[in-house]
Amino acid sequence: MIRRYGTLIGLVGIVVVFSVLRPDTFMTVGNWLNITQQVSILAVVAFASTVVMVTGAFDLSVGTMASLAGMVAAASMQAGLGIGVAIALALAVAAAGGAVNGLLVAYLRIVPFVATLGTLTMFGGLALMVSDGSTIFGRAIPQAFGAFGRGGLPLGTVDGRAVILPNLTIVALIVLVLVWVLLEQTGYGRRLYAVGGNAVAARLAGVRTRLVMLGAFVVSGLGAGIGGLMLTSRLASANPTQGDGLMLNAIAAVFLGVTMSDEGVPRVLGTLVGVLILGVLANGLTQLQIDTYVQQVLTGAIVVGAVAVGSVRRRAS
Amino acid sequence: MPPSTAAATPPPEPRLRVVRADHRYGATHALKDAHLTVAAGEVHALVGENGAGKSTLIRLLAGAETADVFSATIDGRPYTPRNPADARRAGLRFVHQELNVAPSLSVAETVHLGLPYPRTPLGTIDWRTLNTRTADTLSKLQLGHINPATVMHRLSAGDAMLVTLARALAAEPDGPAAGLYVFDEPTAALSAREADRLFDAILRLRATGAGILYVSHRMNEIFDLSDRVTVLRNGATVGVFDTSNTDRAALVQAMTGREGGLAGRTPKGRGDAEQPVVLSVRSLQTRQLNEVDLDVQAGLVTVVVGLPGSGRRALLRAFAGDATLHGGQVHVLGIPMKQSPHAAWQAGVAFVPDERRGEGLWLSGSVAANMLLPHLGRVTRAGWVRRRHEQREAEAWAARVGVRARGVRQPAWELSGGNQQKVVLARALAGQPQALLLGEPTRGVDVGAKEEIYDLVRNAAQQGTAVLVATSDLEEAFTLADRMVVMAHGRIVLDAAASDLTREAVLTAAFRDAAEEVAA
Repeated sequence: MIRRYGTLIGLVGIVVVFSVLRPDTFMTVGNWLNITQQVSILAVVAFASTVVMVTGAFDLSVGTMASLAGMVAAASMQAGLGIGVAIALALAVAAAGGAVNGLLVAYLRIVPFVATLGTLTMFGGLALMVSDGSTIFGRAIPQAFGAFGRGGLPLGTVDGRAVILPNLTIVALIVLVLVWVLLEQTGYGRRLYAVGGNAVAARLAGVRTRLVMLGAFVVSGLGAGIGGLMLTSRLASANPTQGDGLMLNAIAAVFLGVTMSDEGVPRVLGTLVGVLILGVLANGLTQLQIDTYVQQVLTGAIVVGAVAVGSVRRRAS
Repeated sequence: MPPSTAAATPPPEPRLRVVRADHRYGATHALKDAHLTVAAGEVHALVGENGAGKSTLIRLLAGAETADVFSATIDGRPYTPRNPADARRAGLRFVHQELNVAPSLSVAETVHLGLPYPRTPLGTIDWRTLNTRTADTLSKLQLGHINPATVMHRLSAGDAMLVTLARALAAEPDGPAAGLYVFDEPTAALSAREADRLFDAILRLRATGAGILYVSHRMNEIFDLSDRVTVLRNGATVGVFDTSNTDRAALVQAMTGREGGLAGRTPKGRGDAEQPVVLSVRSLQTRQLNEVDLDVQAGLVTVVVGLPGSGRRALLRAFAGDATLHGGQVHVLGIPMKQSPHAAWQAGVAFVPDERRGEGLWLSGSVAANMLLPHLGRVTRAGWVRRRHEQREAEAWAARVGVRARGVRQPAWELSGGNQQKVVLARALAGQPQALLLGEPTRGVDVGAKEEIYDLVRNAAQQGTAVLVATSDLEEAFTLADRMVVMAHGRIVLDAAASDLTREAVLTAAFRDAAEEVAA
């Protein structure tokens, strides 16, 4: 019980602490909708990264891929292409980048750390090349594209204030459902977990392990691409490094989620809890006016602490 | 009725006395009332079906697990190990069935793993002394042919096993002498010659007054080697026998709690003229195989035997689609098969690999997920898993092969070895394959499960499946085979109906050709 839900209890604990310390502002509908919007981009990237991490690999390139995809969309719109075309182009680039990772890892058998470290650098460089190092903003980004990231679905009013479900939150929820279905309800999901559990046995049981891995990296690339688009939409601008920081938090969120699994495998609902822990911490610590540098130290310490506790418990049982 | 324990007379001053051991894993009561005594200068065999509690007892002895109840003495002193270091300090040494070595370490490093390394005056490792010391240890075991500086992954499986034995024997310069050696299925991966070396080493250890606890499923070894035998059943000790005063049937009866055993089975030795050919190769050439021609027919059990490295394993791998071919091709029902395991399963060739844990099972996966992995297409619609179908299909097959599990959602790592093997076998049978490939189908499996597996294999053949078995166990080969194929040095050297062959003929073929090749 404690083993399985320890991380979840940790999340509840954090929420309780912030509710006590900031009773007026923290535990409000508005703040929670705000948190969901704040974490939505990280969530999408982390959900998609979960798919790769299920196979036992990981993808370090998701952050710079998010930057690149956002940049490709912004540059396309600046060049006068329609929003739909720009989005399609960005996602095509993201899928292709994921496929490159998959080919390097699954077919050329380069260890994921090295392969995706290499493509991390390449994608970052490509993002700079697309815009010549500058930020694309202002009139270059169509109004409708920027409005989406800041808009939402009105749910009604509470205490005279409008309650709006942010569009980005809706996107994150849709991606959550898609990834959950993929991992838990499809034959492909079964194969992903089999490859992660024992790649040799899976291959000898007729699973095309290389194809499965390739697919996982394409999903991860697509997730990074969607995250990059969401970021560009929310900021109504694109700079060539704005998504880079997503990678470490996405991987941290998946690891936090793994602590909730008996078998020590990633599950997308675990990743959701991981994302919420990171998001609630950032939101609460900011409300407590704790310096962002200190926030960074605390966040890192909590991730390491949770994973350490999880692994000690696993050993003890 | 279990035989009376009074028949056996333990010598005084036992090395190890386990008065009572009791241990639960969750709902499983793995050990209920186990007791065991190993005297000084005795080889004591521990036998029982898989799941009888042997592994648990050894884990408790090794301090890998803290028992619910564990009352034991070593040389008369109370022994309650809390970790493996306690066990080592008390003079216990373990040689395990599955190799736990780092493939990139040298032999000398492996032997001294966890022990202090000799140092030079500068404080760096004194490699020369380390290697000489290792060479000494190896030569004491008649393993002088192994170079201490060799990297582990370059050794054969048998030599690697013997190195882990050397590791158990390596003396700590300051530590206490070892008084009790525990061997857990040590011959599972060894050739006959390597096993003989191991037995020599064990007998020499016995002569020094050490106690030896020997766990094995192989009856021949137990009767050749042991002085006494303790039988476990369902977590309890049900009998202690003097080896010289008992026989195979009595042990099997104690283990299974029922009459009979393997005795009384005879190979069918059926003629094979009119059976259709399912698998065939012509001039098959790989790194291990040399111009192999073979037709495997429906409805028959064809068994490939041979020494390690003879090509028996490589031949099975080629049929399973897991080989690099330099010449020739595998045909299934006359249609060429691409070399990939996926293509093999698609063509109706099901494969049970040699290494259950390394190659067969996905241990964190459920029984159902493991069984249906190659057959996901049957339980999915447009990619979606139909859970009720999955559940029903898995339950049907679990029942057919007699898997004992809490349910098909139980993770595979919780099952005993025999039940794990049945899961892998069910996976192969569930596709209703044209051909069934089995590598070492009963390695590390207890007597009862062995018989059940043999029945399943024979049934599959009777229903028209072409069965091809590769095994290192000659007893198993003769039990199963309608047709026997002997390999040596990558070639088929003998191919005949099993009923026309004797053990001696098979062994002679396997060895004689090897000797000729060396001479040539």
